[in-house]
Amino acid sequence: MSSSGRAGRMPAGLSMRPASPFRLAGGSGRNWGRSQRGAARAGWVLSLPALAGVAALLVLPIGQAFYYSMTTWNGITSTWVGPDAYLQLFEDPTFLRVLENNGLLLLAMPVVIAIPLGIAFLLHEQIAGWKFFRSAVFLPTAISWVVIGVIAVRFYALHGILNSMLSAVGLGFIKTNMLGSTHEALAALAITLIWSQLGTNTIIFITGLAALDPSLAEAARVDGAGPLTVYRRVIIPQMIRFIQFAFIITVLTAFTAIFSLIFVMTGGGPDYGSTTLEFYVYQQAFSESAFGTGALLGVLLFVIVAGISVVQVRVLRARI
Amino acid sequence: MSQQAEQTELARSADQPDAGSAGLAGSASHGSPATVSSPARTRLTRRRRIRPARIVMFVTMIAVAVVMLYPLLYIVMTSFKSEVQYELGGGFSLASWRILVSSQPILRELLNSLIVSSCAVALIVVISTAAGFAFAKIRYRGRTLVFVLVVACMFVPLPSIVIPEYVNVSRFGVLDTYWGAIAVYAALGIPFSIFLMTTYFRGLSDDLIEAASIDGVSMWKMWWRLGVPLARPAMFTVAVLQFIQIWNDLLVGLLFLQNINDRTVTVGLALLSSGRVTSIPVLMAGSVMSIIPPIIVYLIFQRHLVRGITMGMGK
Repeated sequence: MSSSGRAGRMPAGLSMRPASPFRLAGGSGRNWGRSQRGAARAGWVLSLPALAGVAALLVLPIGQAFYYSMTTWNGITSTWVGPDAYLQLFEDPTFLRVLENNGLLLLAMPVVIAIPLGIAFLLHEQIAGWKFFRSAVFLPTAISWVVIGVIAVRFYALHGILNSMLSAVGLGFIKTNMLGSTHEALAALAITLIWSQLGTNTIIFITGLAALDPSLAEAARVDGAGPLTVYRRVIIPQMIRFIQFAFIITVLTAFTAIFSLIFVMTGGGPDYGSTTLEFYVYQQAFSESAFGTGALLGVLLFVIVAGISVVQVRVLRARI
Repeated sequence: MSQQAEQTELARSADQPDAGSAGLAGSASHGSPATVSSPARTRLTRRRRIRPARIVMFVTMIAVAVVMLYPLLYIVMTSFKSEVQYELGGGFSLASWRILVSSQPILRELLNSLIVSSCAVALIVVISTAAGFAFAKIRYRGRTLVFVLVVACMFVPLPSIVIPEYVNVSRFGVLDTYWGAIAVYAALGIPFSIFLMTTYFRGLSDDLIEAASIDGVSMWKMWWRLGVPLARPAMFTVAVLQFIQIWNDLLVGLLFLQNINDRTVTVGLALLSSGRVTSIPVLMAGSVMSIIPPIIVYLIFQRHLVRGITMGMGK
């Protein structure tokens, strides 16, 4: 696949600079000026639908959210609170709990990087049936969080798959009920998240491995390095930018894209034990009718995501 | 031992210089002896033996595949049981599928999902192909600024804007219509899709366009006659990525299509799963139903999906 190779060689991350601008090599004299004006018009008209759509449906709402965030608004009456709204929120123990849950989800990150790295190494060795294995690992990417959640509920349930597996190996006395426990519900959520992200990260790492310069690893082997040393000292360092990319993508997913998983698996409970910031937005706004607080939480989430993205772009730029 | 391992490693790297090249699957790959020098040949002969490490790797991957595929097998198997068979363990029947179709508006929901996802995907593809061409191939003032603004919106999380979005969509009177949901889905998909399309167009040579512009062809015609046909592979990638994403979304559907007649299959399934009395095999049948379209798209267009993710890593 030529294009994946091409993409793979390139540094991960956004380049905000458009590449070498196409120069109009128009004819001489006034014809030139006219065609350039025509080109500029075409450029604007072609990009206008995108600009208008993004401005109306993404940029404007962020502004609105910022405004709403400083009000108390139950859907009918709205009162201006001002910046104090932010300070009040940090005195709310439930909010702190939710923030802590977001932090705890980060504990899953080493696993969600390490396992796909291992799988990618194995697939890269092109063991028998690697194409089938690649498809199998990647398949959950096509499955909705809702269905994954439905399966996960069956897996963790009191009479579910996990417990029957435990009793099958003689550990029946454990009888877990992770989704019913305030602390374990978040762990169950994290494990499900790991399972579903294996495919995406594996694909990222396979691309990375395919783009490596094989001569470095070869040189190390000639110098007598064993396979493990080669991986640790030569291959992993070259993979850093792919690991970073996978890390960012997974954090963004965990913070902003698993609403449906929480909705189906735990509903945020028990006792906010598995509520993350994005789910708290929904709960506040659409269950408690606290639209102002919901908007405020949304703005905080936006700030967190923007922060992560800026760091991502910065770090990659510095590296390039 | 380490020396032997080293030699086999060397032999393999000589054998397969490019891992991306089409599959020399497994340990039984054969180098062509005619083309290798004699020391390499002895190494190759050694390599033909299946090494224990390869077996361990293979078994590990089997275990991984079981972990990944068993859940899917489980929902399919369970959907073909009646409530009683599910409780007791054995047997198969179509009872749960019959209950699903008669008690849930599942066919209507599938149709709704299809309408909403296809319209949103069509909008996204057209808009991003146009803008991507403009950003990559046409030079005009303000281009960089607009590009940065649009693409930076990739990082606007849906939960952050869902409340204002809800307010606006109701103000425009398109709440609980397809149009509201389609517009929101399209807007959410556009920034990343434009990023992909711009990346793709930048990778294409300017030669054709320059030649055409010398001939006095307008930018419009170039976009339509040259850009669009050349961009077909990238358009596929965008369409596949967005279709799967929109089909599988819950939040937008949950809030913007609340009528039972308008709701998408993902929403229907989430509500079904939160019902206390729902029969589990029926729920599984619904799950199977809802993942069939994205899985078909996945199986047919897997290559495009993978390319979309790797292209996302950027240029």
